[in-house]
Amino acid sequence: MATELPRLPEQLPTSSVRYVGKEVKRVEDPALVSGTAEFIDNLTLPNMLHCAILRSPHPHARILKVDASAAEALEGVVAVITPEDVKRWANAHVTSPPGWGTHCIAIDKVLYVGEPVAAVAATSRALAEDACELIDIEYEILPSVGTANAALAPDAPVLWEEHGTNLIQQRTYNWGEVDRVFAEADHIVTGSFRWNRCGANPTETFGCVCQWDLTDNSLLCHGGYQVPGFWGLARSFSLNLPANKVKVVSHPQGGAFGGKGGARGTDIAALLSRKAGGLPVKYIEDRMEYLLAGSSQSWDRHYEASLALKADGTITGLKVKLLDDQGATTETYGTISVAKPLAAFTGNYRIEAAQYDTTLVVTNRAPAAPYRGYGPPPHFYVLENLVDMAARKLAMDPAELRRINYIRPDQFPYTIPSGNEYDSGNYEAILDKVLKLADYQALRKEQAAARAEGRLVGISVVNTVEPGVFDWNAYATVGVQGVGVPEGARVSVDILGNVTIVVGFNLQGQGQFTVAAQVVADYFGLDMNAVKVTMAPTDSAPPHFGQGGSRLGVAITGAVLGACQKLEADFKRVVAHLMGGLPVEAIELMDGKFRIKANPAIGMTFAEVAGTMLGRSDLLPPGMEPNPTATSVWTAPGRNMPDDQGRCKSYLTAASATHVVMVEVDRETGRTQILKYFIVDDCGTRLNPATVEGQLQGALAQGVGAALLEEYVYDDQANPLVTTFADYLIPSIHEVPIATKDFIVTPSPVTPLGAKGCGEGAMHTTPAAVSCAINDALAPLGVQITETPATPLRVWKLLKQAGAAG
Amino acid sequence: MSIHQAPSGPRACEKRGAGPIQVTDRGTKLKAAPFDYHAPQTVEAAVALLQQFESEGVDAKVLAGGQSLMPMLNMRVARPQVLIDLGKITALDYIRAEGDTIAIGSMATKSAAEDSALIKERQPLFQAATKLVGHRQIRNRGTVGGSFAHADPSAEYPAVALVQDIQMKAQGPNGERLIPPTEFFVTYMTTCLDAAEVLTEVRIPALPAGTGWSIQEFTKRDGDLAIAGVVVTLRKVKGVCEDVRIAAFGVNATAVRLPAAEAALQGQAPTKENFARAAALASGAVEEPIGDVHATPDYRRQLVKVFTGRCLAEAAARAS
Amino acid sequence: MTTKQRTTVTVNGRVYQREVEPRLTLADFLRHELHLGGTHLGCEHGVCGICTVLINGRSARSCLTLAVQADGAQVTTIEGLRNRETGELHPIQQAFVDEHGLQCGFCTPAFIMTTLELLRDNPNPSDEEMKEALGGNLCRCTGYENILKSVRLAAQRLRASSAA
Repeated sequence: MATELPRLPEQLPTSSVRYVGKEVKRVEDPALVSGTAEFIDNLTLPNMLHCAILRSPHPHARILKVDASAAEALEGVVAVITPEDVKRWANAHVTSPPGWGTHCIAIDKVLYVGEPVAAVAATSRALAEDACELIDIEYEILPSVGTANAALAPDAPVLWEEHGTNLIQQRTYNWGEVDRVFAEADHIVTGSFRWNRCGANPTETFGCVCQWDLTDNSLLCHGGYQVPGFWGLARSFSLNLPANKVKVVSHPQGGAFGGKGGARGTDIAALLSRKAGGLPVKYIEDRMEYLLAGSSQSWDRHYEASLALKADGTITGLKVKLLDDQGATTETYGTISVAKPLAAFTGNYRIEAAQYDTTLVVTNRAPAAPYRGYGPPPHFYVLENLVDMAARKLAMDPAELRRINYIRPDQFPYTIPSGNEYDSGNYEAILDKVLKLADYQALRKEQAAARAEGRLVGISVVNTVEPGVFDWNAYATVGVQGVGVPEGARVSVDILGNVTIVVGFNLQGQGQFTVAAQVVADYFGLDMNAVKVTMAPTDSAPPHFGQGGSRLGVAITGAVLGACQKLEADFKRVVAHLMGGLPVEAIELMDGKFRIKANPAIGMTFAEVAGTMLGRSDLLPPGMEPNPTATSVWTAPGRNMPDDQGRCKSYLTAASATHVVMVEVDRETGRTQILKYFIVDDCGTRLNPATVEGQLQGALAQGVGAALLEEYVYDDQANPLVTTFADYLIPSIHEVPIATKDFIVTPSPVTPLGAKGCGEGAMHTTPAAVSCAINDALAPLGVQITETPATPLRVWKLLKQAGAAG
Repeated sequence: MSIHQAPSGPRACEKRGAGPIQVTDRGTKLKAAPFDYHAPQTVEAAVALLQQFESEGVDAKVLAGGQSLMPMLNMRVARPQVLIDLGKITALDYIRAEGDTIAIGSMATKSAAEDSALIKERQPLFQAATKLVGHRQIRNRGTVGGSFAHADPSAEYPAVALVQDIQMKAQGPNGERLIPPTEFFVTYMTTCLDAAEVLTEVRIPALPAGTGWSIQEFTKRDGDLAIAGVVVTLRKVKGVCEDVRIAAFGVNATAVRLPAAEAALQGQAPTKENFARAAALASGAVEEPIGDVHATPDYRRQLVKVFTGRCLAEAAARAS
Repeated sequence: MTTKQRTTVTVNGRVYQREVEPRLTLADFLRHELHLGGTHLGCEHGVCGICTVLINGRSARSCLTLAVQADGAQVTTIEGLRNRETGELHPIQQAFVDEHGLQCGFCTPAFIMTTLELLRDNPNPSDEEMKEALGGNLCRCTGYENILKSVRLAAQRLRASSAA
């Protein structure tokens, strides 16, 4: 980038910002409310077949025999693939750490219930499912590993013979003088916590349509691909194709909240297409497949953690020991959720030393996948509960204990012990604002009155840092390589001055197309209607990543601004030349006009310059191409390689929020009702406030689900017991409180326009906030909930234990 | 639904929800297995078809609103060879008063029952039970008769049937018969209807004037199938409780009356202490409550206790 | 092989007659036979409500309805709401745009169809009545706040235009 990008909306070349920072209506919406957006299952290609997958009913078994002859003979079935085909044509998936990935279809053994063992392409999905029932598989059932603790038992069955162990990785990080601060502590607070599996569950499952070109040996994949380029590259590895012969066309997705992309489903559909002589094959993952074996399950964790404190409440140390059940393979990058907490390990606090002892194991549960927050939500559940335990021990108000430990505004940029740098923040200002918004003192009075009546009412004040704009280096400790996540935008102007922005990703709901259009419209003084945003498939897209790690709003803003600056430079050259050979510095851009600084009445509009470039090559400066187009690829500045304790500048921004929650626990049933919910957040410049608020409320809903309702339950043999939406409970409108919200803005000094990543937002904070409120309600009884979700049954058992059940 | 290593087949639904998943096949099916389809226009024709298929050994199933059957079909846990759709039998779609009885045709939708002024006035308990079923979309298609014939352990109607003595009218090859609720509900998803019988009507006595009633259930989310629930009716005569009827649902294979609890409150003052005593008895009287991922047997017992107490209080407040 | 059945369904005012497998759901019929892809599938077992359409004016889960059951019925889908000539959005659709009542948009047609029924039956619903009507539709993105705002705005506008 030649010049620095504008750091605040006020720095855009406009006298009054019309779109950036305003609640602009989204350009995506008319198609979505009309039902015309082309989600993947709306795509039909000529002669398209439909795929159904036969899946293992056993958690751990050897495959002895596969007989697909009856399926192949069924009328309407065009192709069947079995382990033999996959062994011949495909490779195991690349994973982090390497070596724990399998093929898209189990070859010799199955490692989890739901693992694909064969697949059919037929003229309809129903017929393909009929055919699956005709495939005969003989299994030798093996003893299974049902839990993380079982995985480490000395006589545990070994899932991966080539590794000879169920231990993927054990690593302890020591940051600062942990032993000393704990030895010198006046108080140590310790807790054990259990976070049970929950996960993304977008309303749209994964889907794809794949077509293998046998003459060209190339592959076309349409589908719900969150990170198209990356996914295409991974397919070239797993399917033995040259990387530039895999074309991924991402479709708008019905949500993702993790890593939508269906590696296995894509490979299977692609291989079926290959076997079917190149006919396109559609695979739509149905909800039961998703729940069982999609990228649906996250954060299967056992924690032991402690805080070291001085007598005055200063928190000096944090120790976290984590046993993480990754499921049968690491193919869906669940390991990253163990690494990401380094980006905000000590939260909002000035904790000087920390330790992170991590053990990752395989079991016969489904492979763990990314979910919004990607690791910190359970981490903060632990940290914030420890802080509340400390507050109770020291008889301090939980808000005040937090306040005295906050990183102070003058300390930013602040490097935390685990190495990441927080860009800006003012946690005390957030706290003051939310306590006022909630009328905290009145809430405590209300609580006191309720307690006098014997009611179990609790209040929490919980804060987190929500890391934004990730980089690969954040995950180096689980084997991810490289530094520098790219995001590119190609901005081109037509002869009438309309703009098209080409990006490499598609929509998932966070509104990045609208943000991109807002920025360009303000930059060049255009009406938003004159700006179109579109996605290019991977063979013609600029370098990109797509959504992930709360980065895309910032990243695409950076890319678009970079391209705008390049266009601005070219346009200025044209105008300077047309004004009689003035130096370029004599021209300024303001409100869509390129005008002479010394004589602002004289100039050309944006459209006039574009029209000239494309229509009057005779008027252009010598050597200038008739090409009002610019591409810019943004990546987070100042990233570095991690040291041997994983320390590095990883996530670029540190948003933060404090939630105040009031709950009541029904003594008789253990049910928790959320009575009041207040949020004050700070995510820097809010590029589109309506979008930001929507993300907040949406993440809150998922947080409530994780805190109270959602759980994938397994028996101790790793058989899944929650396999439909009747048992995996997504919150409805009745279960989600509408939070009263306010905000502050501490702009990021290091991002374009000062925005911080905010997409994952409240998911970091809500589970902690709800559980801390429950524990505040239960505190007089001397019990606390330390397991998610805090279902009525779990809470009731605690109440019974305390002799306090109604 | 949850899988409890239960055998598949006729010992259906140990679990509430859409039925058991066969242990041999997991989660790959959400398109129904093939079936043939008939949509007779009269009850007689439906009965004749059922009789024919029974004699041929063909597995035929009646389709009413489909809100319970369709998930089972989609998941392939129900795999009939033939569906007999009653949806064209308009003669079964009515709600009318017959003296002191409300006669509801088995194909009347639940939302029709929900909106019915007649039911609101004469059987508010039945209307309240109707409102508890799922969501409006479910009630728009789901039929009154369907819940009776499906006999899900967590359904509300069977419990109301027990305390209100709702009679079920069935028509079969041998003609019509009226079946009392104590006979009708046999076990999980099983009624006493013969293979060739069709439930044509449910007959609900109007709630006698002054009767207090209450139906409450426990779910984790609004509109879910009940984890446990209780129905109560009672009258207050000269300051004491009379004709106390208590039934629980969601805790056993069928809804159950709780006579020990009823007897304890009979002739007693409607006080909190007496209600608590009755509630404890109700809880203790439940035999082997269901256990699943959402609730242990103990916890279901607790819920019976809690909701019996709450329902008694609400019913007493309503009684006049 | 099962016998195909003829089903005659009127969708958004247009009559369609098709021979279909009895097991074909109304949802799949709309999406793949009639190429009306605005009605989406979220679970195919009747919990999420993403497949909501109106059948004879009443909201229903199209994944729990067979295409053959819809024989003789009038079905309304999201495609039936925009003005066919002018392309103008229906007031409910416009309200969802104006109040940011959607993010990914996958559940939005279902919410709009349910709202259509609600506001037709109850032009001035309370918040409780709105929640009661919308309780059977799941959304994973919005947390429901802006959906409620959208329904309120739609109700207000529809009342205003019918009063005018």
